[in-house]
Amino acid sequence: MLLNKRAERLFVWIFFPLALLMPMFLEQNEYYVNKLTTIMILSIFVMSLDYLVGKCGLITLGHAMFYGLGGYIFVMIAPEYEAVNFWIYTFYICAISATVAFVIGFLVLRTNGIYMIMITLAFAQMTFYYFSDSIDFGGTDGVFVYVKPETSIFGLSLFDLDNPTHFYYLCLFSLFNTLLFFKVLIRSRFGRLVDAIHENPGRTVALGYNIFIYRLVSYVVASALGAYAGYLFTLQYGFVNPSMLSWTTSGTALVMSILGGMGSIYGAILGTLVYEGLHYSLEHLTEHWLLFMGGLIILMVMVFKKGIAGFLEDLLEKRDGK
Amino acid sequence: MDSTLFIVQLINGLQYGLLLFLIASGLTLVFGVMGILNLAHGSMFMVGAYLAWYFVQQTGSFAFSAVISAVIALLIGFLVERTLIRQLYRRNHLDQVLLTIGMIFVFNALQGLLWGNDPLGVDVPQALSASIPLAGIIEYPVYRIFVAVFCVVVAGVMYYVISKTRLGMLIRAGESNREMVECLGIDISRLYTIVFAIGVMLSAVAGVVAAPISSIVPGMGEHILITCFVVVVIGGMGSIKGAFIGALMVGLVDTFASVLVPELSSMMIYIFMAFILLLKPQGLFSS
Repeated sequence: MLLNKRAERLFVWIFFPLALLMPMFLEQNEYYVNKLTTIMILSIFVMSLDYLVGKCGLITLGHAMFYGLGGYIFVMIAPEYEAVNFWIYTFYICAISATVAFVIGFLVLRTNGIYMIMITLAFAQMTFYYFSDSIDFGGTDGVFVYVKPETSIFGLSLFDLDNPTHFYYLCLFSLFNTLLFFKVLIRSRFGRLVDAIHENPGRTVALGYNIFIYRLVSYVVASALGAYAGYLFTLQYGFVNPSMLSWTTSGTALVMSILGGMGSIYGAILGTLVYEGLHYSLEHLTEHWLLFMGGLIILMVMVFKKGIAGFLEDLLEKRDGK
Repeated sequence: MDSTLFIVQLINGLQYGLLLFLIASGLTLVFGVMGILNLAHGSMFMVGAYLAWYFVQQTGSFAFSAVISAVIALLIGFLVERTLIRQLYRRNHLDQVLLTIGMIFVFNALQGLLWGNDPLGVDVPQALSASIPLAGIIEYPVYRIFVAVFCVVVAGVMYYVISKTRLGMLIRAGESNREMVECLGIDISRLYTIVFAIGVMLSAVAGVVAAPISSIVPGMGEHILITCFVVVVIGGMGSIKGAFIGALMVGLVDTFASVLVPELSSMMIYIFMAFILLLKPQGLFSS
């Protein structure tokens, strides 16, 4: 069984069918379709961070670097006025960002704890300043994407990326696959070793495993997925700019992930939904939404000790009288 | 670069570094003694600057404004520790990150609510508004020298308190073994409140003295926070001595980079930090 917690099963069975039907209810309202699409893209990003921080215990404050790189790599390698193939460029972007992550991972994974937080931040800040100071990439304005890629595969074009509903389904499809991918990964031998390393690195070394390799592979995989999310974001809004790379993007993603329940993977979707939902509704209610947002975050740290996912799991278990 | 420019940059770098030390010392003290990662530390720098502006507007006296801002910061620190931070001692760093990010939001919102989002400025106090000639042609503002001297004095006082007084002894003891301190009958939670409030006050005081030489804008807290993290990580988390050396290094690197390699200037301190961490993954003076 891939989904081993009741709360998780419940969530997945409610969320995905609902998400699948959602555009039918929102047919007339492009705004909400776009909003939900962004939430899914962010969920992919947060999920990859959640795997890294919650599952591998590798706390990074530089994950936004790959989110931004996903967009910047696209505008770097794709021709400006020609529709490229979405799937081929997905491969390119994941491969290039994985290579970057491989090199940086070599340096970053030598440190741990607070020092790792800082060195990942350092690399992200360097990238941020590189792009925001660069004239070739439009400085703080970033770069526009004039032509969206086409998505034909073996001559069959499933999605039209200029159509918000199609884009919505592409992102939902990507989110589902990301969840599936991480669930399979965590169940595999590799995932069990990642768990063991998180639980007790010293003992795992003593058992004869090279923990550095497992950490590096995890880092590379999560970074490539983070870049994929950034690529989707760039395509959705038709531009890439340095704010995608800023440390606040990393920080917000971390908040969403902690809020959802660190290491629960599906909690990433929950955390993103709750955070963005609060953000959206408070912003519409009051000019001083930040005050309430901050207050609610503080309250949630106090109430949910293991994030929303942990809270739901406890709730369901209590009801079962376990 | 000729020697005059060099000297000016050197003084600028040292002055900036000393100011960074004032903020970073509180951050590293709170982390070292209490194990709390306070991301809202930079917000107190912002609060200090805004308070200074507000009280200068109200009373016209910079000195009075500095004192009252420090007292208010101390009170904020006391309240925050007693109500919020206290809940998190037994929780992990990530919960602390979440809580303190929530606090950043609240502080930023209050700043917008109370003082608006337009950039503000505080005049340099009359008594210190002069300039002194430096190496013949260039004039150097007295206030900047005052800031540097003030920070050195604070550093000296901190050194004295930590190495020579009973409170300092408790701080050092709390750093190395908190259970043992508790077993000896010391009220560790009171010690924590004191340390946190002092840390917060240091950051706010830095905001006050920085107010006349920088523009007071929303988001100044986050910017300085990241720079201070660079400082304490270079020096080694929890080490005051490390924070001092790290702050001077960062101050000098940042100042000279903007003259020598302007195209890399905003990146330079991060490149520097990455370089240090690759050589010494725990920082220069880690315990």
